[in-house]
Amino acid sequence: MTERQVQISLGAGAILASLFLLLWAIPQWVSSPSNVQKLILSPLFWPYALAGFTGLTGLGLLFGGLGSDDDGEPVNEPSDNPAAAWMRLAGMAAIMALTMFLMPRLGMVLTSMLVFVASAFLVRTRHPVTAVVCAVLIPLILYAFFAHVAGVAIPQGNVLRLP
Amino acid sequence: MSFVDSIAAGLSVVGNIEAFLALFVGVAIGVVGGAIPGMSATMAVALTLPFTFAMQPITGILLLLGVYKGGIFGGSIPAILIKTPGTPASSATILDGYPMAEKGEAGRALGMALWASCTADVISNLALILFAGWLASFALSFGPPEFFTLILFSLTIIAGVSGKSLLRGALSALLGLLLATIGLDLVYGTNRFTFGDPNMMGGLNFIAVLIGLFAIPEILAMVWNPTAHVGTARSLGKNWVTFADYRRSFKSIVRGSLIGVFLGSIPGIGAAPSAFLSYSEARRTSRNKENFGKGEVEGVAASEAGNNGVAGATLIPLLALGVPGDVITAIIIGAFMIHGLQPGPMMFILNVDIIYGLFIGLIVSSVFLFFIGSVAIRGFKYVADVPKRILIPGVLVLCVYGVFAVNNNIFDVGVMFVMGWVGFMMVRFQVPAAPFLIAFILGPLLEDNFRQSMLMSGSDPMILFRGPITWFFWGLTVLTVVAIVRAGVRAVRTSALAGK
Repeated sequence: MTERQVQISLGAGAILASLFLLLWAIPQWVSSPSNVQKLILSPLFWPYALAGFTGLTGLGLLFGGLGSDDDGEPVNEPSDNPAAAWMRLAGMAAIMALTMFLMPRLGMVLTSMLVFVASAFLVRTRHPVTAVVCAVLIPLILYAFFAHVAGVAIPQGNVLRLP
Repeated sequence: MSFVDSIAAGLSVVGNIEAFLALFVGVAIGVVGGAIPGMSATMAVALTLPFTFAMQPITGILLLLGVYKGGIFGGSIPAILIKTPGTPASSATILDGYPMAEKGEAGRALGMALWASCTADVISNLALILFAGWLASFALSFGPPEFFTLILFSLTIIAGVSGKSLLRGALSALLGLLLATIGLDLVYGTNRFTFGDPNMMGGLNFIAVLIGLFAIPEILAMVWNPTAHVGTARSLGKNWVTFADYRRSFKSIVRGSLIGVFLGSIPGIGAAPSAFLSYSEARRTSRNKENFGKGEVEGVAASEAGNNGVAGATLIPLLALGVPGDVITAIIIGAFMIHGLQPGPMMFILNVDIIYGLFIGLIVSSVFLFFIGSVAIRGFKYVADVPKRILIPGVLVLCVYGVFAVNNNIFDVGVMFVMGWVGFMMVRFQVPAAPFLIAFILGPLLEDNFRQSMLMSGSDPMILFRGPITWFFWGLTVLTVVAIVRAGVRAVRTSALAGK
């Protein structure tokens, strides 16, 4: 993406977000007591004001982008292999989703071990043995600190129960 | 309470081994965190925050301040040795630090960086001690309209100077303010964007948003390009900094420290502009100006003094007004809140022991920085050799534990992941994250003071212009916006001319 494309995309996105907030999200998901006499004191006022300013900022970004010259220079460094980079990002998203799914079931320690190993191999670590050793040790050390020093109730799950 | 009584009260809370140990460990973590390319002082402070939950408030905050101070110096080590700044503030240090390393004088450059950093740190801490109390006593007369205009001014300047354009900074701040509206209404207790979920009623957890915005995008960036951050460290060489070098650079160090103090005390400016301004002033006035950029030790001293001079001064608006000056102080304000403390003028009356305890701790931190920094310079090789592709999964696991520990709630971990993707998109679209986070913290305060003002005046907006203080902040806000817009227009014209 070039600087101009980024500017136009941000502007269009901000305008759409503003319209969504003004026309759908705020009336739907922000409630206000019926006895509030002035809008300025209502719980609705602040979200409406912010949504309005977001729309105005979006217009500014859009017109700024349309009025600027496109130098053709990409704003981000291109990846060597974009397809592989996108696959890795999708893999990371899957790891995060699995973390949320597994944590209540396997417990935090076991889930963290799996997350560590999966993400280390996702970024193609050159130290697989160290990665596995760290994957076991780091969650255990963090468990020991948070459970026994900080007094946090770390979820244990049904498979592994630690003291 | 007299000054001596205040010092004694401060000593009573920090005069124990735990407090000084926390400070020492904090400086060490900060130096190592700042020195690892791909980490940053911000990330180090954010990741240390969950470990403070179980500590006494003063101990936890000293730990974080230690990480902050250490992180800013730590960033200069990779800047000099591998031409990769550990923090954005160290970018100016590269200009002369790396050419010195190429000439085999890395040890001398790092030594000067350390001496300049410690000197600037002391000057900045003294400025904090002198001015914070004075500013707080002035701010005691502020009511809701004054606080509203102050926070509005802070947001304007933060949004304006944090990124490439005012509009992108403003968009970032508006998104932060919108996110801060989630939860129960401050006055009526009605639902706002809670979707009937009890987890959302208290609003989104600050730590989850913070770690999501500042740590997870680094992990995603590593996943996007796993071979980034690879550099070769230069050897330290045989030359070391001498007292004659220090004496020759002393004027630039003091000038840089004062520039840092001035810019640091204005919310939003940050350490990088201070380092560059200090460097350019040193170059303009130096007898060796032709050596600048080719490996001049005075250049390293000036840029390091500029960025470290900011560290204590950013705490002036934080402690005196409750307004964070940059992202790291925004994290530290979160730490205060987690420990049940609200920074601001009332803290100088209600928690004077903690305030003076922090002052004492900050002074001591400069001494710790000197010793830990000296060791870190020699040990950088081992830090640089930590495999990034092992470090990053470790950071991910640490994030999960840290965010969960805030409320014992898995929902917060989900918020962190979502905010991580938001942060990553912001990086890709070059939208600065700092205004987002600071607006997220200041949003409830801004709305609360606005609505209190409206309740006080019976919805008459003229209360927001009720006295000289509000006029002063409105004036500053208008001036800031005009200055930023003018600078933006000038930059566009310059780039257009350069393109022709």
